[in-house]
Amino acid sequence: MIERILLLVLFMIGFWAIMAHRNIIKKIFGLNIINASVVILFILEGSRIGNEVPIMYGGIGPTADPIPQALMLTAIVIGVCVTALSLALAVHLYRTSGSFDIDVIKRRIQDEA
Amino acid sequence: MNDGKTAWRNIRIFASLVLIGAVMAPIFLSDASWPVTARDYLMAQGQAESGAVNLVSAIYLGYRAFDTLGETIVLLIAVTGTLSLLARVESLVSPGPEDTSSPNAKGFSLSLEKRVSHALRTNLLEEVTGKVGPIVLLFGFYVMLYGHLSPGGGFQGGVIIASGIVFLALGNPYEDKSVLVRPAILGGMENIAFLLFILSAMSGVFLEEGFFGNPLAVSGTPEGFIILMNCIIGMKVGSSLAFMCIVMMGGANHD
Amino acid sequence: MRPEDLVFATVMLPLLGAAFALCANMFPKGKGADTVEFIGAGIGLLLPLIVLANVFPLVTGGNAIEGVIGSWHEGIGITFSFDGLALLINILGYTVGIAAWIYSLGGGPRGPAFTGIFLIQCAALSATIMTNDLFNLFVCLEIMGMTSYVLIPTSRKAGASLASFSYLMVSASAMVFFLLGTYGLYRLTGSLSFQGIEAGLALLGSTQRILSLACLTLLVSAVAIRVAIMPLYGWLPDAHALSPHAVSAVLSGVLIKTPLFALARILHLLPEGTKIGELMSIAGALTAVVAVVIALSQRDAKRLLAYHSISQIGYIVAAWGMALRWGIDTPEGLACMVGAFLHAFYHALFKGLLFLSVGTTVDVTGERNVYLLRSSIASLKGRGERIPITFIAFVTGALAISAIPPLNGYVSKDLITYSLKGTVHYVLLSIASVGTVASFIKLSRIYWRGTKVAAQASLSTETTPYWPRLVAEVLLSLLCIAGGVASHLIIPVVSDLLAPANVIAIANANLFSTDSLVKTAWTVASGTLLFFAATSRPGSVVLRIVRERPRDFHGLFISFALGTAVLAGYLLI
Repeated sequence: MIERILLLVLFMIGFWAIMAHRNIIKKIFGLNIINASVVILFILEGSRIGNEVPIMYGGIGPTADPIPQALMLTAIVIGVCVTALSLALAVHLYRTSGSFDIDVIKRRIQDEA
Repeated sequence: MNDGKTAWRNIRIFASLVLIGAVMAPIFLSDASWPVTARDYLMAQGQAESGAVNLVSAIYLGYRAFDTLGETIVLLIAVTGTLSLLARVESLVSPGPEDTSSPNAKGFSLSLEKRVSHALRTNLLEEVTGKVGPIVLLFGFYVMLYGHLSPGGGFQGGVIIASGIVFLALGNPYEDKSVLVRPAILGGMENIAFLLFILSAMSGVFLEEGFFGNPLAVSGTPEGFIILMNCIIGMKVGSSLAFMCIVMMGGANHD
Repeated sequence: MRPEDLVFATVMLPLLGAAFALCANMFPKGKGADTVEFIGAGIGLLLPLIVLANVFPLVTGGNAIEGVIGSWHEGIGITFSFDGLALLINILGYTVGIAAWIYSLGGGPRGPAFTGIFLIQCAALSATIMTNDLFNLFVCLEIMGMTSYVLIPTSRKAGASLASFSYLMVSASAMVFFLLGTYGLYRLTGSLSFQGIEAGLALLGSTQRILSLACLTLLVSAVAIRVAIMPLYGWLPDAHALSPHAVSAVLSGVLIKTPLFALARILHLLPEGTKIGELMSIAGALTAVVAVVIALSQRDAKRLLAYHSISQIGYIVAAWGMALRWGIDTPEGLACMVGAFLHAFYHALFKGLLFLSVGTTVDVTGERNVYLLRSSIASLKGRGERIPITFIAFVTGALAISAIPPLNGYVSKDLITYSLKGTVHYVLLSIASVGTVASFIKLSRIYWRGTKVAAQASLSTETTPYWPRLVAEVLLSLLCIAGGVASHLIIPVVSDLLAPANVIAIANANLFSTDSLVKTAWTVASGTLLFFAATSRPGSVVLRIVRERPRDFHGLFISFALGTAVLAGYLLI
């Protein structure tokens, strides 16, 4: 139970970072944190039904559910890609507006337009 | 006035956290028993059907290979998008006091002219990465090729290969880099790997197995297809990530 | 070839085309690279149409082609089902896709990378609408999202990357919620396929009800972000207004609708679907009204169009929600679903047309402000349009979106309001259509003669050919007109494709009845009045307040939290 509560807390921290922080890099951190919390939750709970790794070398006991592991592999890679793209956008925003603060960026772009 | 605005902002953010938390809590805290049907089926049949001892490989390269294709596509788009964004420099505003021109901003830069000023890339780093690079590459190939038997697979192996390539790029203090770290070569490898992936995913159609079916299903060595897919994905992931890292470090300036 | 493979080719062909197009990157620039890229585009955009024509007889009358991708075991592999709805959405996607791609040859962005990503987007649309698997839906939505985040900033306009960043943050966070919802449903039912989840939840009965409702809430609100329904629309105007014109056309024509119809496939299986549909349809009708008011206040021509996309999506969601509320297998529900799809399709055509024609005008004159831009026809002539094709295309689109007979917009809007008669939605949608008329009178002022002659073309110095723009505009205009004139042929086919096997498709409603025509006349008259009210002094003060309302980044997330909580609360009660 305690792990799940901690993961919920982790999720809320990430969501708070996305909403409240003005720095766009910290927002991207937040996005990574919420993604990580869901991935950990999925893997953790999927291993409640067995302790062995799902690699079938004869005569092993009940394994962890392999489906969450395969799904999360996909989700992690997608998360990395989204992060890479958002960081590239952040760099580009910094180059054009000279700031990482979302409000400042917005103001400068509006002034320009 | 401004204080009032900030307070109002904080109140709204706090309220939405509470609301989201209320919706999330039942899902995070649930202790409903985990379903076992899929696991039991895979333990009984998975190895025979897919040929992979590693059931995770069996799922992401066999049962759910289409998801894997989706994820390599996402990777491809991310690389293309990142490159097109980083290659463009146009500034809206005149550089302010907090602008880029401080030397630290160039951290690990690969281009020679920027290298004089930075303290982060020491000789030590260059020596170590240059020596370790080939070994890391070799390990990456091992993880990729044995993905059906042991923990690992195309993605994990590909990421290790990518770090090997980045090590090679970092470890070379001169301009005569190996072919492997040239962005143009890496980009080409990525595109070819994507084409190969699509073609091998289509190969099942001609053998009545359907898209993403295993064309070797009846041949007695079904694991051959898994190994092939692992290699293609390893090539794709390795070249994409290395490409992205090298361009982010400024290597693209030389092509 | 088995039928399962045939339908899956609609996903694989664009991907193969994309792979070809991307390989063109490796050739030196010139004839060779262009040829490879064009072959890729041909494989990706034209061959799927042939496939669709072959599939058509297999899916009429409520039939569906179902299977597991790669013929793997059902409980673990990815199941898909290609039914009439999937066929229709595919037709929608590829029609607009082809027009937009042709336009991009003249209006940019160009190059193998653009073609590749564009084709991947088409493949993702096709995969999204046919998948029957929750996690696969997650992957497809992510691909669609990624392509839009990449395509939006290719316009190189100031603010486009900020728009893309905002969209990315909101929609990527929403996808994490979607993943969490998938986790909850997998935990409860041990299955990822829609049918498996339905069976699993039915077995559970009322135990774990809170958990299953929370999961559904997350799935629905994550998709609602993509569709841009009322509280969750904040990312859309910037993204659609600042992206390249061809991309705007696809984003607002196709991309915001596909997730909605994909969601319908799981919702109509679940008992909670009716409640969700009810709430969403009310939200949709409200969206239609509010967005049209904001649209009327806009100064930027493309932003005005973007708000209209939200408003029209409101129409679609209202009809779609009521279809779920009543059930797709009842005649009323089916009528709503046909209306929702037809409006989605026709909106894709006329909104695509509007984005392209206004985009051309804006490019030619170099001015986006509706209040400043005048006499654009002269500028278009200066660019070599002897007959002002772009202007005619704009008029066609504007008349269609204002629902003037006999254009296609009239047919679909009339079908929706006809089937919603007697509900509160009917009133709201009627108000919205008055606003639509008013704001398009406002937009058409860019073609009026004025004293201020717009600055002449930076475009005339560019080397890109101009004719592809005109070809795309003419193509879409013809489709708009055909959609209206041939409606008596189209509606039965669509309703036959959407009808489940045991339901008789609706009889052809009399669309051009005197009642409807009188109503249209009233709408136009009050729309004109509203336009004059809006241009009067008090009217413009009000619109200014609407236009300059504060829009913060965190507001996007606050409205997301609010929307999610409201949906959860509504389901729980």
